[in-house]
Amino acid sequence: MEPRPLLAAHDLSKRFRDRVAVDGLNFTVEQGEIVGLLGPNGAGKTTTLRMLAGIIGPTSGTATVDGVDPAREPEKVHESIGFLTETPGFYERLSAERNLAYFAGFYEGIDAKIAARRELARMDLADRASDRVGTFSKGMKQRLALARVLLHAPRILFLDEPTAGLDPEAARDLRDLIVALRADGCTVLLSTHNLAEAEALSDRIAVFRTRLVAIDTPRTLRERQFQRRLRVRLVAESEACRAALQREEFVRDVRWLEDGTLSVLLADPDRDRPRLVTRIVEAGGQILEVREDERPLEEVYLNLVGGEEA
Amino acid sequence: MKRRITNVVRMEWAGIAATPSSLLFLVVIPLILVGQALFLSWVVPRFVNPEILGPAGGNADTLRLLILRQFPFFVLLIPAMVANVFATLGIVEEKVSRTLEPLLATPVRTWELLTGKILSGAVPGLVVAWLSAGLFIAAGYALGWGALLRICLTPTFYLSLFLLMPAVSLLSFVIGVIGSSRARDAKEAQNLAMVVVLPIFAIIGLQVTGLVEFTPLRTLFLSLSLAAVDILLLRVAVRLFGRESIVTRWA
Repeated sequence: MEPRPLLAAHDLSKRFRDRVAVDGLNFTVEQGEIVGLLGPNGAGKTTTLRMLAGIIGPTSGTATVDGVDPAREPEKVHESIGFLTETPGFYERLSAERNLAYFAGFYEGIDAKIAARRELARMDLADRASDRVGTFSKGMKQRLALARVLLHAPRILFLDEPTAGLDPEAARDLRDLIVALRADGCTVLLSTHNLAEAEALSDRIAVFRTRLVAIDTPRTLRERQFQRRLRVRLVAESEACRAALQREEFVRDVRWLEDGTLSVLLADPDRDRPRLVTRIVEAGGQILEVREDERPLEEVYLNLVGGEEA
Repeated sequence: MKRRITNVVRMEWAGIAATPSSLLFLVVIPLILVGQALFLSWVVPRFVNPEILGPAGGNADTLRLLILRQFPFFVLLIPAMVANVFATLGIVEEKVSRTLEPLLATPVRTWELLTGKILSGAVPGLVVAWLSAGLFIAAGYALGWGALLRICLTPTFYLSLFLLMPAVSLLSFVIGVIGSSRARDAKEAQNLAMVVVLPIFAIIGLQVTGLVEFTPLRTLFLSLSLAAVDILLLRVAVRLFGRESIVTRWA
């Protein structure tokens, strides 16, 4: 029997009066995966997370989270998920520990105070445990928010803009933590506007624009959008090399780029790469480097979102 | 279930304890109301023009008794104001500090959250009102008005204290919740919800002017009518307090 996905959405849609926020969403997420959700503002990322978390119900369609329908049994889903909301609020007049203990107090079978102290220590906030949250910096609040999400050791994490507004060091620490959580078996749905972050963390990327435009690994998304080209850097530009390559049947296109490298499109980049190197050497070229011409994820994203807009 | 409701109540009280102004409100308003009632009962009969008491043998005690008999209705202002302030503090502040969505992502059920808030807001108002009534009676006896107070401690008094007062307290809290769902901050919510004290002034006015005398039956009827209004408004509040409303409209 095929293993059941941990998260699944089937034709999931949400309307707010006349406005369609999410339209016919279909996707699955396997255990231990990190899936990055990308899309412009208002694309439906947060609404999707809220529906999967059972905070709002879908207008149509269904979802399952660890085998449970969040629209029917939201409280059961909440036992196994942690949801980092986009604007993580706190009771600012109360201490960090009191805030965490309050949230921990809603979960069965955990000692609220112990859980609060454990997570404060993990987030390097133990020495500020008794300080009012109102005195915390934005970065500290974001760490505290993540501590709150982890109080009950959830198997699934929904993170909505987790590094928004953090300084680079704090953002890196948080990314490291996400990677460590995945290593512990956590499944993560990560909504972000930070493309580099999405690419660095995600096994797959889902691009939204009210509906799901594409979902796949960053590499496959690139390949679907752009042909795989190779870049060849020579000791010196050689028109003889370019002419020699142009005559080969396995070379579909070859051109000089502004930076003096050759951009080559092969019939089969993996199979034909050794032949390419051989031909260049035979034509007298001295090769410094041959590498994949990797398009930035930003181009892939803009192409996907722009294509959808058109 | 009980654990989660207790958790909400304890947190609400921790929040109140961390706000000195709300503690002050909890103590000062009842003291002012009790003090005012005692002062009026003492000063008015003492300094009133004897002609007002009338030629037919009216005396200061008659006037004092008239004032003392208003107290059960006068003290209704305490739970009305306290519950209202706690409702707006407990909900608008969550709204302003954006803690409701993270709360809704925990296993707490909406009704548990609301029950916890009602218990933490309406109950202190009620307890403070009962304490105030006790203080009023004790002070009355200390001032030598025991005989007059015994006349006042009628079934109407007890019905007012133990039936009408909880109904008013809940009404005030629920209107506070409804006001909070529409308001942008605690001040605006309190302004909206303070309308709840107007009917109480009307009750006091009706009683003082003698237009309506609150017999036990009438007090019972009024209490049950208010309880019915409470149930209706509670349904409205629960709808407004629904997850989707909070996330999509309250934010």
